[in-house]
Amino acid sequence: MSEMAIEAVGLGRDFGAFRAVTDVSFSVEAGEIFGYLGANGAGKSTTIRMLCGLLLPSRGTARVAGFDVGQKPEAVKAAIGYMSQKFSLYLDLPVRDNLDFFGGAYGISGRALPRRAAEVTELCGLGGLGPRITGTLPAGLRQRLALACAILHRPAVLFLDEPTACVDPQARRLFWRVIRQLAASGTTIFVTTHYLDEAEYCRRIGLMAAGRLIALDTPAALKRAYVPGRVFLVRGENLAATTSAVRAQPGILAFEPFGAGLHLQAEPALWNEASVKLAVERAGGREVVVEAADPSLEDVFLAALGRAEPAA
Amino acid sequence: MTSRQGRFLRRVAAMAAKEVLHIRRDPRTLYIALALPVIMLLLLGFGLSFDIERIPLVVADGDRSAASRELARAVFGSRDFAAVAGSDARAAQTELRRGQAMAALVIPAGFARELDAGRDSPVQLLVDGSDGNTARQIMGKIDAILRAHGGSRAGFADSPPLAVKVSTLWNPASRSALFMVPGVAAYLLAIAAVLLTALTIAAEWERGSMEQLFASPVGRLEIVLGKLLPYLALGMLQLLLVISLGTTVFDVPIHGSLPMIFVAGLLFLTGMLGQGLLVSVLARNQLVATQAGALSSLVPSLLLSGMLVPIENMPWILQALTVVVPARYLVHALRTLMLKGGGFQVIALDLLALLAFAVVILALATLRFKRRLA
Ligand SMILES: Nc1ncnc2c1ncn2[C@@H]1O[C@H](COP(=O)(O)OP(=O)(O)O)[C@@H](O)[C@H]1O
Ligand SMILES: [Mg+2]
Repeated sequence: MSEMAIEAVGLGRDFGAFRAVTDVSFSVEAGEIFGYLGANGAGKSTTIRMLCGLLLPSRGTARVAGFDVGQKPEAVKAAIGYMSQKFSLYLDLPVRDNLDFFGGAYGISGRALPRRAAEVTELCGLGGLGPRITGTLPAGLRQRLALACAILHRPAVLFLDEPTACVDPQARRLFWRVIRQLAASGTTIFVTTHYLDEAEYCRRIGLMAAGRLIALDTPAALKRAYVPGRVFLVRGENLAATTSAVRAQPGILAFEPFGAGLHLQAEPALWNEASVKLAVERAGGREVVVEAADPSLEDVFLAALGRAEPAA
Repeated sequence: MTSRQGRFLRRVAAMAAKEVLHIRRDPRTLYIALALPVIMLLLLGFGLSFDIERIPLVVADGDRSAASRELARAVFGSRDFAAVAGSDARAAQTELRRGQAMAALVIPAGFARELDAGRDSPVQLLVDGSDGNTARQIMGKIDAILRAHGGSRAGFADSPPLAVKVSTLWNPASRSALFMVPGVAAYLLAIAAVLLTALTIAAEWERGSMEQLFASPVGRLEIVLGKLLPYLALGMLQLLLVISLGTTVFDVPIHGSLPMIFVAGLLFLTGMLGQGLLVSVLARNQLVATQAGALSSLVPSLLLSGMLVPIENMPWILQALTVVVPARYLVHALRTLMLKGGGFQVIALDLLALLAFAVVILALATLRFKRRLA
């Protein structure tokens, strides 16, 4: 038995002739929060479903909580919790009934169930919501109820597929507080997201693009590896017209509109802040401010994508 | 009980309890299951009339004379009746009871002698009256044939016409409502059972909760049982309602075994729930499941069950099709039990057919119901 909570080797899945996931290998330690990032259609959910025993891998193998997902899917299912991407609680039922049902589905019985339900209710901040009809709850609370239902049976590994989609920032913060608490008590978390800021909560992250795992490491190491230069943010007005002027400046490694501003990656030796500012102003930019920024995971993501697909 | 079985039962119970909660919260389900039958039964209770031919008829010839054989030939000479083998009056009764024949013509010993002597010579016509409409037609047809036959007998032009003494068995008043109640019961059970299961399972797919269930240790048999049991209970309640309504409002008698009625209903329901399951496993969305479910239950149970159109009146291809329509067996079993009487023996074949259908369709549905997403 491996010590890793999750271990994928050469994992791949086809849908007909289409390769949704290709040759994905990684391992996740027990108690780790592992983030899985990628655009829509990158293959995140397909990977999760293979790891949960819901989809048979076309190639490769994976072990979750010590069990092979292809051969022992039932053992895997008993050991994991899963929150699918689609919101899947019973909206017509009260909060309490959802908890009771999932508890029963995981075989928790008798007096253990109400006790455990009270525990997760407390942990997920759902106190006093028992009689509320689930469909009337705001998205953030529903999300935490889904989480509560997924951890009733104390799973060793928890899979969360875009748990915070469509949830407001404050609710996301609350949700992540619970996630970190769970990880601190030893639960392994595998979470997909496309909020890059959330990836900072993860100990390590994997970047998916077009079914491939194109980068994998801690956020800091990824930034060092993929964003070798320095990162600058150009702010001001009418910047859209100035892009070609900026691009023509020496030492610009990468260049991306970012919000209302421009996000630049530059070779430190060639960077000349004054000349960039001048070029932007000449091209029509007004009230231009250039400031140094920390490399974000977005920079990493773009750089990694650029390396994986040089044509793009 | 091992803990493995304990967990199994616990999960089935969890599924079933949740289903009950859904039903409680959605009045449409209860409406479909309990209000619809009352309305339908009242609407359909009026009955409809249809014409028929090739009615299975058994001649019990107690006389075995030239005259009696001639009479039988005259009866079967028309296209209205088809011969069913039989020997004496007792055997003819059995054929009737089993539903092999719809009418029996009993020619008593001494028939020819009485006729030759120029005396009144009664033959007896026994008619299965559980279908009032058919029974009336049989009597009319036999009456016409006998009159024509009596009149055409050479040399006996002045003899009195053959006297027909009619006894309608089991449904003396020939009331259509009696005939309709078993049919309506089958029809309503079929629709509600197929539709409700198809809907509830398709809803799990649509909601995405099926994926959640598949990622849990809940097995497919547990899902199937948990989904079926509450609807089975609801279906039995529905049957009870229809039967009570039939006996109170329409004065339908129950001559046979009441428990057997529910045994037949239970087997039929299981098959219908399995059919709903299969539909939803194949359709995976509520709209398609509703339509496929309604169509696959409504059409056969209404048109191919013998409820409206007697099976023996159908073109052979449809007759052959009715063999795999469970409603046919339920309708037959209910009519037999309610109107004719008897118990297990008289409906054993129907029960067997219902059981076979239920087993096959549930196995198919459970097999097709893969616990993987693709
Ligand atoms: N069951 C399926 N059948 C066919 N194609 C699928 C199926 N599931 C996913 N795909 C395809 O595989 C690709 C990856 O999907 P998915 O893993 O859901 O991506 P993500 O979760 O990263 O958005 C997509 O192009 C999607 O259309
Ligand atoms: Mg996805």
